[in-house]
Amino acid sequence: MPPGRHPLPREFITQHQRARIIAALAEETVEKGYRAVTVADIVRRAGIARNTFYENFSSKEACFLAASEYAVTEALRRVVDAASKVESWPTRVNAGLAAFLHYVAGEPALARTCIVEALSAGPAAVDRYERSIQAFVPLFRMGRKVSPKGDELPETLEETIVGGIFWILYQRIIMGQTEQIEDLLPELVEFSLTPYLGAEAAKRTSAEAPPAAS
Amino acid sequence: MLDIETRERTAGSERKRILDALIAIAAEHGYAETTVEMILQRADLDRAAFDRHFRGKYDCFLSAWQEINETCMREMLEAYNSHEEWPDKLRAVACEVVESLRGDPSRATFSVEVLAAGDAARARRDMTMRVIASLIDAGRNEMEDPESVPHTTAEALAGSAYGQVYSRIVQGRGDELPELVPQLMSTAVMPYLGLEAAMEELSRGFNPPARYRRGVAKRTSSPKTDDVTSAEGYPPELSRLPPGRHGLPREFVVHNQRERLVAGLAEAIAENGYSGTTIAHITRHAAVSRRTFYEHFSSKDECFVAAYDTVMTELRDRVSEGFEEAEDWPHSVRAGISAMLGFLAAEPHLARLCMVEALVAGPVVVERYDAAIKSFVPYFQSGREGRPPEILARLSPTTEEALVGGMVSLISRRIIAGKAEELEELLPDLVEFTLTPYLGSEEAAKIAAEKG
Repeated sequence: MPPGRHPLPREFITQHQRARIIAALAEETVEKGYRAVTVADIVRRAGIARNTFYENFSSKEACFLAASEYAVTEALRRVVDAASKVESWPTRVNAGLAAFLHYVAGEPALARTCIVEALSAGPAAVDRYERSIQAFVPLFRMGRKVSPKGDELPETLEETIVGGIFWILYQRIIMGQTEQIEDLLPELVEFSLTPYLGAEAAKRTSAEAPPAAS
Repeated sequence: MLDIETRERTAGSERKRILDALIAIAAEHGYAETTVEMILQRADLDRAAFDRHFRGKYDCFLSAWQEINETCMREMLEAYNSHEEWPDKLRAVACEVVESLRGDPSRATFSVEVLAAGDAARARRDMTMRVIASLIDAGRNEMEDPESVPHTTAEALAGSAYGQVYSRIVQGRGDELPELVPQLMSTAVMPYLGLEAAMEELSRGFNPPARYRRGVAKRTSSPKTDDVTSAEGYPPELSRLPPGRHGLPREFVVHNQRERLVAGLAEAIAENGYSGTTIAHITRHAAVSRRTFYEHFSSKDECFVAAYDTVMTELRDRVSEGFEEAEDWPHSVRAGISAMLGFLAAEPHLARLCMVEALVAGPVVVERYDAAIKSFVPYFQSGREGRPPEILARLSPTTEEALVGGMVSLISRRIIAGKAEELEELLPDLVEFTLTPYLGSEEAAKIAAEKG
């Protein structure tokens, strides 16, 4: 933000600053790895004063946690948005996953920061990993209503599905295959629907083109 | 002679003491807080002892991690091979892993801690994960149409199983792991065997294996249980060197005998698996006497290592030949992969030996297996040269290792499924997969689709 007078509401400025700091953290992480990034790096990349950083976050770790929460919230918003435009649960999964992959592909730095770090940073990362998983679990749990086995299905099924999707993305990001993330859609839809609908119905839904992501 | 042996044994136990101490300390204090001084105090050794074995704290961490992964890999594959049918095989693996994590809590905690040590630790973990994915993926062989399940499914199942075990350990909920096993099994079986089989898994509960090994750096003792079949009395149709004088220079015969033993080992392993292979099996396939075996090797392990080295040298030569002949980097990669697949498809026994059995054959070989994988990394790394910054930005320091690992895992899956002969069909997929990070998907697909 240019210094001096600006007629923008304070709320907006704070939001904007936070997003900018988070983006800077993500870019720095991609460049040198999370552990090597310092607050000084983030401040330089974001083009803000050191004070401004500390007005928003108490530490690099806090900033990281916020980045992960931001990414999950954003992703979830897009998923729910896309899913609410269609009727049946299987097509919702198809649409939601399409929106999710589209978001991840469009934010490679943020995705790499959150997904790769959550699965590689040791015990400190577990909370973040758990929180991200849990955010998506309810969307899949609805599938039990359309499944003949419903509540008899393994209790951790949804955790497995979400965790599995994260792991696949993690692998693709590590291998530098971010470009093809959206191509994974049919396979991941089939993977997520099979436990609820059986292989055949899952394959059928996965073969349909998802409603266009806006 | 005895002196050397004693010294070696002392060095081995010194190293093990340091690694055990490190694991205990790191599990208590975390990676960042652990210092070499703390490790040495616990191990009751001095700094000189540490320096004899490790270059520093990081090196020591990675070594401990390496051994844990090797032990884990060996235990998993032994468990897998201890059963005949696929879901039983996989269940044995799951039970083995959970039982061994519970039997050694500091090893479990350490396995989580070590990830904070950086990319190399993570890459090592990912390799183990790829092996687990292959064991799950073998489920497709139970299906009428084995190609009907996407290949990412097994990868996803392995990764999320890992995530669930990992977070339970960190949150101090390790006692929940046994009840997690039937759930994970149920979910893993579902895509391959259907819903009914999945529900059955749920009702099975947790059946730990009767025996399991704990601790790191457990060396397999050399096999003493061979049967006593002598090499005499072989059916005449088995080709063997005529006994007595045969006018060949001694060097040649010796060399030739070694090669026959190596080939014999590969055949015996293809038939019985590594654990099930005895020296009698090897000598029978090689059609040489037991005494000849012991003139060349002191144990089955040693023979395996020789076999492994022979195969890998040949494989590396073929790859590097193919790589160097092509006119530009992408075609070099294509030619190298093609040479590799060609060799493995033509020699299915050797393929199995170096890509699958090597993982169960003990620490010495697993170390070599790792080194072999790393030796392919530079071929890909050279693809970074001259790429624009936006391409380089999407590569991570371990991209090449992950690519080689991913490629090896696709290949070993085919071999585990008994389809080594069909390996060459993988060429377009592997070329596209490995070139994409450097060239983009369009260009990579184009080169993958080329003929010849």
